[in-house]
Amino acid sequence: MHEMTVTQAMLNMALEHANGRRITDIYLQAGRMSYVVPESVESFFQYLSEGTQAEGAKLHFEIMPVEMTCMDCDQQVDLSEWADDRPHVIMQKAFVRGCECGSKNLRVTGGLSFGLVSIDVDESE
Amino acid sequence: MKQSISVLKDITEANSLLADNLRAGFSQRNLLVLNIIASPGAGKTSLLERTIEMLDGELRFSIIEGDPATSIDAERIAAIGVPVPVVQINTQGGCHLEARMIQKAVEQLEMADADVVVIENVGNLICPTGWDLGEDIKVVVASLPEGDDKPLKYPMAFVTAQAAVINKIDLEPYIRAKTTVMRENALTINPDLAVFEVSCITGQGIDEWLDWIREQLAKKRTTSK
Repeated sequence: MHEMTVTQAMLNMALEHANGRRITDIYLQAGRMSYVVPESVESFFQYLSEGTQAEGAKLHFEIMPVEMTCMDCDQQVDLSEWADDRPHVIMQKAFVRGCECGSKNLRVTGGLSFGLVSIDVDESE
Repeated sequence: MKQSISVLKDITEANSLLADNLRAGFSQRNLLVLNIIASPGAGKTSLLERTIEMLDGELRFSIIEGDPATSIDAERIAAIGVPVPVVQINTQGGCHLEARMIQKAVEQLEMADADVVVIENVGNLICPTGWDLGEDIKVVVASLPEGDDKPLKYPMAFVTAQAAVINKIDLEPYIRAKTTVMRENALTINPDLAVFEVSCITGQGIDEWLDWIREQLAKKRTTSK
C-alpha cells in the first residue's frame, strides 16, 4: 500500500519537468523487485493527477528484470532459465546455486527501483 | 506537437536526497543511527527496551517511534527505568516511514547527549525497505515463531539490511521453526549479514548484539572524524 506515496512522488517529478505544459504520456520503469504494482499506481494516478497538467496522461510501464552480480568475479549472473519465475523465487534459486565461478557471494544489482524515464508534453497548447 | 523530455530519475530520489542530508547532520553530531525493520510483533520494541536497559550508564539513546496510529510503543520506551528522549511519528495508516517524517521528528527530538539514535519503523517487511531514512545501518528483526523461511519470503528486507536479529529463540522447543535454518536462510540471501540469535525475554544472546552496537559506534566515530 505504498503506491500512493510513490505515485505522488512520480507525479510531482513529472509536473516539475513539464514546467506548466500538458503531459500526454509518462514512461516508467518498474523493477520486478521494486514492490510497485503498476495497476495500483494507475488507479492512484487517476485520482492524484485530477486537476493537474498531467490529468489524462497515459502511463507506460516497462518491467525491469531482476539482475544479480557476483561479488567475487564481478560477472552478472545468468538468470535467464528462471525468467518466468516470480522475482523472489529467482533470487532464492540464484542464491542457492551461486555464480558459475563457484562463488555464492551474490548481490541484487537490478530490478529494485522505480524510475521515471521520460515524459511527453504537448507543445501546441 | 508532442515533445519528449528525458527525466531518468528514480522516483524515490527526493526522499534519498533528504535522507543524505539527514545522514550528514547525524554524522556531524557523531551519532550512530539505526533503522529497525520488522513485521508487526517480531519484537522491535522489546529489543529496544532490552538494549537501552543493558547499556544504561554506558550509551545514551534517542528514539524515533513509527506507528500507523498509536503511541503504545513510545509509552513503553518512556516506561522503562532509564529516561530516554522519544518522539512518536504516526503515519496515519501509512505502511512505512519516509525521510521527510524523520526530518520533522528530528526537530523535536532531544539528541544533544545521545550516542545512538534508533528509528523503529512501522511493522512491515516490504514497504520500509525502499525508503532511506538517513540511517547508517538497517537492522531487520525476525522472530523465530514467524517461520524460519522468513528471509526467503521477504528477501528485500534481508538484502538491504546489514544486521539481522532472530528474536524469541527461547520458544524453539515449542515450535517447528529452527534457529539454525533461519540463520542459514538469512545468510543465503545476504552473506554479509551480521546475524544475532536472541531472546529479549530471557536475555540470551543479547550480549553479542550489544557488542556489535559498541563496535558500530566506534567504527562510525573513527570514520566521521
